[in-house]
Amino acid sequence: MHTLGKILVAVAALSLGLALFAAPSGAQDDARIHLIHGIPGVDVDVASDGAVVFENFAFGDTQDLSALAGTTLPSVQVLAAGTDTVAIDAGDVALPASGNYTIIAHLDADGVPAIAVFQNDTSTIAAGEGRLVVRHAAAAPAVDVLANDTVAFAGVENGQEGSADLPVGTISASVEAAGGSDPVIGPTDLPVADGVSLTVYAVGSLDDDTLTVLTESISGLGSAPTAVNTGNSPISDDGSELPLAALITAGAVVAVSGGVMVRRRVEA
Amino acid sequence: MSKHPSPRVFVIALAVAAFAATACGGQRSDSEKAGALGPRPPATAAPLDDAEPSTDTARAEPSVPALQFGTPIGTATDIPSATRDVALPVGFRYPALGIELAPIDAVGVEPTGEMEIPGADAVGWYEFGPSPGETGSAVLAAHIAYNGVDGVFRDLVGSEVGDIFTVVFDDGSERDHLVVERAQYDKAALPFDRVFARSGAPVVTLISCGGDFQGSLSSYQDNIVAYAVPLESQGEAA
Repeated sequence: MHTLGKILVAVAALSLGLALFAAPSGAQDDARIHLIHGIPGVDVDVASDGAVVFENFAFGDTQDLSALAGTTLPSVQVLAAGTDTVAIDAGDVALPASGNYTIIAHLDADGVPAIAVFQNDTSTIAAGEGRLVVRHAAAAPAVDVLANDTVAFAGVENGQEGSADLPVGTISASVEAAGGSDPVIGPTDLPVADGVSLTVYAVGSLDDDTLTVLTESISGLGSAPTAVNTGNSPISDDGSELPLAALITAGAVVAVSGGVMVRRRVEA
Repeated sequence: MSKHPSPRVFVIALAVAAFAATACGGQRSDSEKAGALGPRPPATAAPLDDAEPSTDTARAEPSVPALQFGTPIGTATDIPSATRDVALPVGFRYPALGIELAPIDAVGVEPTGEMEIPGADAVGWYEFGPSPGETGSAVLAAHIAYNGVDGVFRDLVGSEVGDIFTVVFDDGSERDHLVVERAQYDKAALPFDRVFARSGAPVVTLISCGGDFQGSLSSYQDNIVAYAVPLESQGEAA
């Protein structure tokens, strides 16, 4: 059975893992495994073999488990923060040996704590584009995800995701119950940045009025332009002729400065 | 705008809206690119147990000592900022090439994937890469000649190691740069990874065209490239 603690506990052995697993195979060199606490209002301690190894893991906190890739973590437990009360008996936890994953502790559609493992798409993004990924990890029925007031992903259920590569810019995103209603999340402005994959998690509970979003960025996926073509006609014969630009005045540059500031935006 | 279930219609609308938001339209042909995009059908997260099982024999370690774990690496509750908090280039001087002061336009990519280049009288700064002075290679490109008019970088082929040019920023500051290498590449052999590098010591890379002009293609055979390193800032412009 999957429980909240099953993965929260994985953080416990990270420090140990750095020492234990640094030497073996190179398979884990490329692994990236992040853990996100996606249940509002629940702080936990994590214990292993009866000893608390991690305290007060709070909503929104993120941990890097990459160093533990390819390992199985021994029996672990999740405790209500600051108590000896065992909330979850997690058992052993196996982590992928390679690849790029995000593990999120969240509420399932019925509001029960659950674990979801999403594999992140780290394929190259075309120059001038960013990737937007939306993941439903909230105690809510199927939803429609809207971008700029238009349905982007329809009928997304808990545990599902949608993804698109989009031109750089800003997207106004919101979430509605499937089929349309007033937004239950947002609208929220999201940056689409060159070469960056932005993942947005819908988390919380509709019934408890705690719906909100968490975000995660993976950068460095971009690519260079495919060519630099800077001429379509022969140059003039008079090599001593000054370029037209030499005639541009400082005043013109000030004007350009204003234009650039208006379009100033994003890079993650 | 009313809701519409068609993914293609959505994507086009989204792409156009995104471009409109950037105020960078100009030479771009948005719909062409948008047509190739589309949201994927939702995928479902795998159960934890479906993850690749460990084959690492090191797991035989019997117990986990009582270690206090460090603070989290971050929090996922914040939405990334859309603001770029760095001075951006707006003007360019290169006296040795007769460029007294040319405006710099922020540019991106064409739908074809090639770098967007402004008209003959301006320099294009590749805004998806670093600003001059930031880590990596800041790219400033300009025409040698465009539509029969000599471009700002008409004489880039004449740049020499040791030349100094100046970049003016939108906060009024300016910074000199020292040319440390000049190269000429067949366009197909342009070292894109170096020219558009996002990491490494700050470099400003000037690019234009050169070599044989191929009339039938309205194009030059080569790219002319000058690599330069930043010198100290001069503070407020006069």
